[in-house]
Amino acid sequence: MIGGITLPSCKNKKTDTTTNTTTVDTTSSAPVVIANDDELTKGVNDATKDFPGVTASVNNGEVTLTGTIKRDRLPTLMQSINSLHPKKVNNNLTVEQ
Amino acid sequence: MALQQKYQELINAAKTSEVHNLQVREQNNVLYIDGEASSGAVKDNLWNIYNKIDPDFRAGDLVLNVNVKAASGSKAKVVTKESNLNIRKGPGTDQPIVGKAAHNEMVTVLNQTNQQWWLIKTDGGAEGYAYSQYLTPA
Repeated sequence: MIGGITLPSCKNKKTDTTTNTTTVDTTSSAPVVIANDDELTKGVNDATKDFPGVTASVNNGEVTLTGTIKRDRLPTLMQSINSLHPKKVNNNLTVEQ
Repeated sequence: MALQQKYQELINAAKTSEVHNLQVREQNNVLYIDGEASSGAVKDNLWNIYNKIDPDFRAGDLVLNVNVKAASGSKAKVVTKESNLNIRKGPGTDQPIVGKAAHNEMVTVLNQTNQQWWLIKTDGGAEGYAYSQYLTPA
């Protein structure tokens, strides 16, 4: 259970206030790290394994999804793909009810 | 900044719910939201808002990478649709299957190898890597 946590800053007690900036919400200027195509290809193969109607391709950090999927399964697949550090996700899937 | 306006409701929800190490960044016309959600419910809520703003996630202008942290030794529930969850020797679907966890079974998370693969152990003693999408911290 993780329900006991209240404020992010509580984690950093005893430290100075500057460390809090890493925990508090921020619009960071650090560049977004994009996974390389080999990592992405392995990741999308794992993510789409249980989606037989879906084909995924990777090109220069962009993941493109084609094929068909049921609407109730779409968020599950998108969550997996989004966690692979792609540059962009092109959802060209035909979504069925 | 236009993208941050488009997804303002989502950003606000991430800021006001328990999302740690939240980062909101815009790069080459894509908005990246990264962080660690305190629970599966927090993550699901963010995805529901995303789906409301951009139905079926068509625009290709957001990468929402908010994942749920599970502490080592904590329990997680197998949330496959109905089938058993494969437990593998290593972190990848190319790895051999060394065991199974049943649908709705509670397993122990030994560590989060990465966002996709967690090392788990069942009460029956099967130990290996499982795809994290099918596990929810209990």
